[in-house]
Amino acid sequence: MSPELLFEQALNGLSFGALLFILAAGLSLVFGMMDVVNLAHGAFYMLGAYVALSVVQRTGSFWLALVVAPLALGILGVILEPLLLRRLRGRHLDQVLLTIGVSLVIVDQIGAIWGREVRSLAAPAGLDGSVPLVGGEYPVYRLFVIGFGVLLAAVVSVVHQRTKVGMLIRAGVEDAEMLGALGVNTDRLFAATFAVGAALAGLAGVVAAPVFGLQPGMDGDALIYSLVVVVVGGLGTLGGAIAGSALVGPADTFGKVLFQEFALAVIFAIVALVLLFRPTGLLGRIRVAR
Amino acid sequence: MGASAALIEVHDLTRTFGGVRALDGVTLAVRAGERRAVIGPNGAGKTTLFNVLTGELSPTAGSVRLAGRDITRATTWQRARWGLARMYQRNELFAPLSARENVALAVASRAGPYRLFGSSGAESKMADELLAKVGLAGRESSAARALSHGERRQLELAVSLAQGPEVLLLDEPTAGMSPAETARITELIASLDRALTILIVEHDMDVVFRLADRISVLHEGRVIADGAPGQIRGDVRVNEVYLGKAVTVG
Amino acid sequence: MRRVATWLAIAVAAAGLVAFPYWSAGWESSRFATTVLRDILVFAIFALSLDLLVGFAGMPSLGHAAFFGAGAYAAGIASQRLATSELAVTLAAAAASAALLALVIGALVVRTAGIFFLMLTLAFAQIVFAIAFQWTSVTGGSNGLAGVGRPDLFGIDLSSSERIYVLVAVAFLAIALGLRAIVHSPYGRALVGVRENERRMRALGYDTTRLRLSAFVLAGTIAGIAGALSAYSLRFVSAQDVGIGTSIRGFVMVLIGGAGTLVGPVLGAAIVTYIERVLSSATPMAETVLGLVFIGFVLLARQGLVGIGRAAWAQARR
Repeated sequence: MSPELLFEQALNGLSFGALLFILAAGLSLVFGMMDVVNLAHGAFYMLGAYVALSVVQRTGSFWLALVVAPLALGILGVILEPLLLRRLRGRHLDQVLLTIGVSLVIVDQIGAIWGREVRSLAAPAGLDGSVPLVGGEYPVYRLFVIGFGVLLAAVVSVVHQRTKVGMLIRAGVEDAEMLGALGVNTDRLFAATFAVGAALAGLAGVVAAPVFGLQPGMDGDALIYSLVVVVVGGLGTLGGAIAGSALVGPADTFGKVLFQEFALAVIFAIVALVLLFRPTGLLGRIRVAR
Repeated sequence: MGASAALIEVHDLTRTFGGVRALDGVTLAVRAGERRAVIGPNGAGKTTLFNVLTGELSPTAGSVRLAGRDITRATTWQRARWGLARMYQRNELFAPLSARENVALAVASRAGPYRLFGSSGAESKMADELLAKVGLAGRESSAARALSHGERRQLELAVSLAQGPEVLLLDEPTAGMSPAETARITELIASLDRALTILIVEHDMDVVFRLADRISVLHEGRVIADGAPGQIRGDVRVNEVYLGKAVTVG
Repeated sequence: MRRVATWLAIAVAAAGLVAFPYWSAGWESSRFATTVLRDILVFAIFALSLDLLVGFAGMPSLGHAAFFGAGAYAAGIASQRLATSELAVTLAAAAASAALLALVIGALVVRTAGIFFLMLTLAFAQIVFAIAFQWTSVTGGSNGLAGVGRPDLFGIDLSSSERIYVLVAVAFLAIALGLRAIVHSPYGRALVGVRENERRMRALGYDTTRLRLSAFVLAGTIAGIAGALSAYSLRFVSAQDVGIGTSIRGFVMVLIGGAGTLVGPVLGAAIVTYIERVLSSATPMAETVLGLVFIGFVLLARQGLVGIGRAAWAQARR
């Protein structure tokens, strides 16, 4: 592989990794706090992308979509958690099953409302060009994705480590029951966490849309990849989401270049290996919920 | 220790958790047919000892032998097949299954599970007999989770007996029981076949002195005394260790 | 006397089921009804096998489609590559492939439980899906494997739609009876024991890891047979047969019908297939209906229809 190609693929890997972080952070957060693997996470991602599509169609502004879509998903999350998940408090496996049902409904409704053809979303003006970079031209938008992802990771880390909200989250991930015993309103905390998780998924959907487009089945792909990242990096921790996406992004990109047909299989093989030898993931904490 | 070989023994058993030495060089040998009580204040390492004996916990150092065979690395189920049974301190029952079905599973374990055509009639009959023996006659069809706490302890004992063990580990058998229930289960254990080797962890000293041939006293992971009940009663270190606690030895 | 009457009734119903295309030939929609019933029975076999794993052994697998698909592909590929239409050969290939795959995956996943097990099975199923999707030369890739021939059994031609139906119905009855025997056997009871309290089972002398692995392989093999039947029926194998959608659909069937029962998965297969085949032509929101129904059951009737039935029966007896 030529050094130019190598560099280009490295950038691709980084931008994919950045995207994966935005996507996986929400899943990891919800699992860490509530011990629920939200299998509707991919559906939320998909919904975010389609909401962005409508916003751009109506207003022409990608930046507005970047705000509206996560907001919409957050509202959806804050409605769904008390309506459905809260009734199954403590029954973690059943909560996971519930999210399967939610996923079925959301995905079907997206098809009903927006249709099932392949759609695309253009990068916003100003970010839709290319810049000359080491021998070739590289899309500006992908550089934006890298920057956005890093920025988000930084912001989330600061909130996580230095703010009161972040402290609540860290405590909740550690022991939500104890937190409740200390007088924190865990119902509200869980609802808010679920909403943030959904919002992050929606945000990922918007950011990813100009790169990957919109089509039926994108929810499944997103879910699988976010599961891969979270499992490899470590379930339930922010550091895990960062580590996992930093690993899986480039691995997937280079894997596709090197192995082509079987790249996907290689990725999952890595997952399986990690799960088998380090079930907690690289940086995670183990939860065995039956 | 006498010249007769031990049926179950541990040698220099050590188990650390992080910086804590839950077991610190424990050596014990129990002869066949003996009834050995293991006592000691909370945190002495008694439950850890049992967990290492059954294989649910692996030792950091030391060995476990059953009938001369080194079982230190053996799995829990392998040890059970070799004759080791345990009555858990916190009931480990099959909640939605009936008392009879609970015991029947234990009976069936002797023949192995890979059978398509079972002897469920014979197993149920044996289960009912055992249930009657522990005092649960009439409750055979009740679901385990529908039983009272005392009844569940009785069921717990029945299940471990149904394995047909050679060595029975009783982990605080009278835990959470009323005086009447305690008396009943104590007499029940006392009446068990003398060929059965029993290790019992207990806090209730009356029960200990009623049942034990020998007593081993654990403190901070070490055996500080080991002998006949009379000896232990008068042992200075044992009394020291228990001083200040609500329990007085004897 | 009652037992004889019950068995007689069951025998009559079974005969009626097998002979369905013949005695319903007069109906206007007989052909359609036959294919729908056939698909229900194929998925009933799939759901029953999944229930053995999920309901009886307590192992929540979201990757069961891997074995269904493996069986389907194996049957199709065997019939094409070996240029044979002999049912015994292709079905054996399907069962063997599914069993082998289940053994390999099972050996890796069976030591985990609960959510971890769920995600591991999902991950492995995705590996299989990825391979099926990309290995175009063998599986047809995203286009699927077309032109799967209808089988014949020792010379008896089974290619007509009535005969394929009979094959499926007979297979269903055989498997249902087999599973019934298994569930009521010491082996079946041991699986339930592992589900309810694995720690105690190990203390009783049961090698629970081996028990779980055997259940995993058995369930996978039966799923593979269902896959083969699907391949013969549709004459086509799609990558989606190995996909997460199929795994989820199986899970939905088991839960709606009633996990841990024999009747449940069959009921669930009937309902889900009805929603997807019949309802979907009447309304474009079939999947939404399915999702809402599923959510309803998870929230309100976790034991499924069988659970509701039992509660109603207990209530009526008072």
